Amino acid sequence: MSENRIAVLEATRKQDKAWETLAPRYGVTNPNPPWKTSLTAMCDCLAVSGALPALERRNTEDELAETLYSDIPSPERELLALVHTLVSRGLVSEADLVSRMKTVRARLEAV
Amino acid sequence: MSHTHTHGNPGDTHHKAAPMVEEITDYEVLEIAVRELAIEHGLFTAEDHRKFTEWAESIGPAAGSRLVAKAWTDPAFKALALKDGLTACKEVGVDWAEPTGVGTPSDYMEFHLLEDTPTLHHVIVCTLCSCYPRPLLGMSPEWYRTTNYRRRLVRWPRQVLAEFGLIVPPEVEVRVEDSNQKCRFMVLPMRPEGTDNWTEKQLAEIVTRDCMIGVALPKPGRTADVHPIQKARRPVKSSAEEPANE
Repeated sequence: MSENRIAVLEATRKQDKAWETLAPRYGVTNPNPPWKTSLTAMCDCLAVSGALPALERRNTEDELAETLYSDIPSPERELLALVHTLVSRGLVSEADLVSRMKTVRARLEAV
Repeated sequence: MSHTHTHGNPGDTHHKAAPMVEEITDYEVLEIAVRELAIEHGLFTAEDHRKFTEWAESIGPAAGSRLVAKAWTDPAFKALALKDGLTACKEVGVDWAEPTGVGTPSDYMEFHLLEDTPTLHHVIVCTLCSCYPRPLLGMSPEWYRTTNYRRRLVRWPRQVLAEFGLIVPPEVEVRVEDSNQKCRFMVLPMRPEGTDNWTEKQLAEIVTRDCMIGVALPKPGRTADVHPIQKARRPVKSSAEEPANE
């Protein structure tokens, strides 16, 4: 799994916008980004539904944390690993993800 | 730039919003996008996601601190906590059945409190993944999730504890309890000297998350966990103790 890089995730990681880097630029001391709790809930939901059992997710996260995403801090690494796993398993397609990210960003920037 | 706001009466800081940056990163966009797609594909429901989000926001180490402080001051409660941890948790406001009625898939409803004594010190880990008593302690710290901590603690517990600033005397046994996908553990540290006549609230303030994991000891004046993130490294060999081969 770790050998297969996913372009949209590579583009995301290269922006150097991890929370531990970004927060000090704004003088923000909150230890977690705004999406952290939602990510945690998403992992729980995937486990409850059986779509992605917790232990399988964590095993893959461990592998990716020591390979592809070893230079990414937490919680960004957890997010990348989760999405990487969902895409690799065909639960979410990369094309859909790229498309949805564009519409999400447009919504968030609309105001 | 960042901002904060409060709800309710002026001066009420209990619901103070945490400051955030006003910049939309691709990480934020990615989390929303994948969540929306997962819901649309039927991997889970928006209702379930909201339920787990609210639960995750509600948990934290304060409940564990209250449990320890109550155990220190109430012998009957301590006996209950050691015998039936789940029932004792309810007395400090924690129901392990939340938020689904049967708990979460990551928090099995089997919980044991590990009592420290003058000759025995406990510390918890999850070598398999990152199992943690979330209903009592909230989300695990990042270092607890690392393979560095998980692999090394079971091999060289005294050295790893020393990296947290906790030097355990050689006459005290160190027992590492490994969460095993079926059971959660938490440490009941010894009540420190100098706390006679303290209230439960005062006692709870010195029972930090790290004390309940077992990588620190409670003591008067210490009310927060602060330590650097450790880079992975093998412990330095000494003539007294050679680390085992991996």
